[in-house]
Amino acid sequence: MSGVYIFSDKNDIAAEIIGFAKSAGKDAILLVFDEQTAKVMGNSGADKIYLVNGESELVESYARSIAQLLREEGAELFAVGATPRGRDLAARVAVYLNCGMASDVSTLSCGDGQWLTQRIIYGGAVQQTEVLEGLAVVTIPGGKFEPVSGTGEMVNITLAADRRISLEETMPIGHQGADLSAAEKVVCVGMGLEKEEDMQLAKDLAAALGAEIGCTRGIAEERHWLPAERYIGISGAVIKPKLYISMGVSGQVQHVVGIRDSQVIVGIDINEKAPIFAAADYGIVGDMYEVVPLLIKALSE
Amino acid sequence: MARIVACYKWVVDEADIRINPDRSVDLSKAKKKISDYDKCAIEAAVQTATAIGGKAVGLTFGTADARQSLKDALSRGLEEVYYINAEEAAQADGAATANALAAAIKKMEEVNLVICAEGASDTYQRQIAPRIGAVLDWPVATSVSKLEVTGNTLTAVRKLDDCLQTVKVELPAVVSVLPEINNPPIPTLKAVLAAGKKPVKEFSAGELNADLVPKTRVADLQGYVMSRKNLIFKDGEAVDQVKELVAALKKEGVI
Ligand SMILES: Cc1cc2nc3c(=O)[nH]c(=O)nc-3n(C[C@H](O)[C@H](O)[C@H](O)COP(=O)(O)OP(=O)(O)OC[C@H]3O[C@@H](n4cnc5c(N)ncnc54)[C@H](O)[C@@H]3O)c2cc1C
Ligand SMILES: Nc1ncnc2c1ncn2[C@@H]1O[C@H](COP(=O)(O)O)[C@@H](O)[C@H]1O
Repeated sequence: MSGVYIFSDKNDIAAEIIGFAKSAGKDAILLVFDEQTAKVMGNSGADKIYLVNGESELVESYARSIAQLLREEGAELFAVGATPRGRDLAARVAVYLNCGMASDVSTLSCGDGQWLTQRIIYGGAVQQTEVLEGLAVVTIPGGKFEPVSGTGEMVNITLAADRRISLEETMPIGHQGADLSAAEKVVCVGMGLEKEEDMQLAKDLAAALGAEIGCTRGIAEERHWLPAERYIGISGAVIKPKLYISMGVSGQVQHVVGIRDSQVIVGIDINEKAPIFAAADYGIVGDMYEVVPLLIKALSE
Repeated sequence: MARIVACYKWVVDEADIRINPDRSVDLSKAKKKISDYDKCAIEAAVQTATAIGGKAVGLTFGTADARQSLKDALSRGLEEVYYINAEEAAQADGAATANALAAAIKKMEEVNLVICAEGASDTYQRQIAPRIGAVLDWPVATSVSKLEVTGNTLTAVRKLDDCLQTVKVELPAVVSVLPEINNPPIPTLKAVLAAGKKPVKEFSAGELNADLVPKTRVADLQGYVMSRKNLIFKDGEAVDQVKELVAALKKEGVI
């Protein structure tokens, strides 16, 4: 069956991509790897769901046989949720199909035998429009399309996997369920914070404002002072609060991409030349260890 | 001796990009740099080579100006750099880049591990490592936050959205590493001086016999313009700055 072939290890993204395919007037064919997901996705509007059986627990290991399936079926597009697993699988499939790929697209539309995509480059400073002719591969982050409903046929299929890589251990990462993207106010801490104990300063400001706490990548990934789902930017969360206040955040473009849709942006940084001030509505040039306590006091008055 | 190859890209420094009022993109004033996270790929190669008694080498695919990167890369502990000098690099997409890099890797001897970074700071496509693996038909582990080579086996910890995965794979293999895998040191003066004497092997596009025709076509580039109020309080006492800020935020109706 020709059409848009879809995979995501996140069901909500898979559902949104099915929505895209249907709105583009294409058949939506979903690949899933376990019965539970097949069940959950049963009413997501896919015309066909392939339940893949195979010998590997790693979806990436099916790249070659998925590419073969897509070829045999005359697929028009392989659209994959932009997550670490999805990007990996998608890029390998693109090689086996010998075709172009656009990663993490913000828009996708279909023209005359071609796909038109937009994505950001240079950390978010520039938007690039690309044209992919014929069969192509794209990865798509969540939140870009509307899901639909409807049932289709379910087909069991066995695919061969690359067995050279083996899974030894899986350790779940605990999520605290913080949803920064829905927060009304966000206090963001950056590497200007000297010690982990000083997180209290950010917490106090957040409490005074009724805000969630976010951070830059380094605070989460290098220093591990906050969990990964709290960092904002091109590789983290994209937020759209009414108020964003940063403390000790330089404001490099990769971070700022994640806050562009904020209603009001405030930066507090000791360096007058920090790029955060160009991205901000209001700013204070000063030592946050002096400014933030004063701000907390002023807010509680 | 076993070679550990670090792939790095010579990119425009995004901080120097100017956006014209019509949103066209001006790169003329932009300096170039080794892609930020590729420094972690280089450091990972150096550390792995040290641990197993192998040789850490660099590999870059770039236009003529990528020659400027060689000394910088070599000062970071690599023993030699392979430089694919090709005009095609200017238009290369993921397919062309992976083809070029894989072709060069095939020409090198005794490669047992290829290390890319998670993503390049210009494209941030996160395609090249899995693509190289597929082109070479080598196993791949992406999003690696920890890696260890013992004998002919690589053990890698992958950091995914929902879990940490430990995977094992026989070498040769390709990995992409996350920036948190290490903290690349700033090269010492001694290392910078020594870098000039280290060997560079140059490939031309013709020599590689690889398909460097891009499969995606860039139709348009548009700069992003941030239009904000930019009211910055920088003079006077902190107490007064804070007062002004609070007044402004009240007026905005956000507090
Ligand atoms: C491909 C790629 C993807 C990336 N993705 C992301 C991403 O998703 N999110 C992200 O955040 N980053 C990302 N980055 C990293 C990004 O480029 C920046 O390096 C990072 O955002 C900087 O974090 P920071 O502002 O906390 O630290 P720094 O840049 O070190 O800034 C610290 C700031 O604190 C200020 N400061 C120091 N002391 C004080 C004080 N006492 N009072 C007030 N101010 C003080 C300093 O003046 C400075 O401006 C990415 C980079 C690359 C290459
Ligand atoms: N032209 C290049 N030369 C050498 N390595 C590259 C090149 N392009 C990409 N890479 C490597 O592949 C990684 C991912 O790039 P990308 O998929 O474009 O985000 C980079 O961080 C580099 O390690």
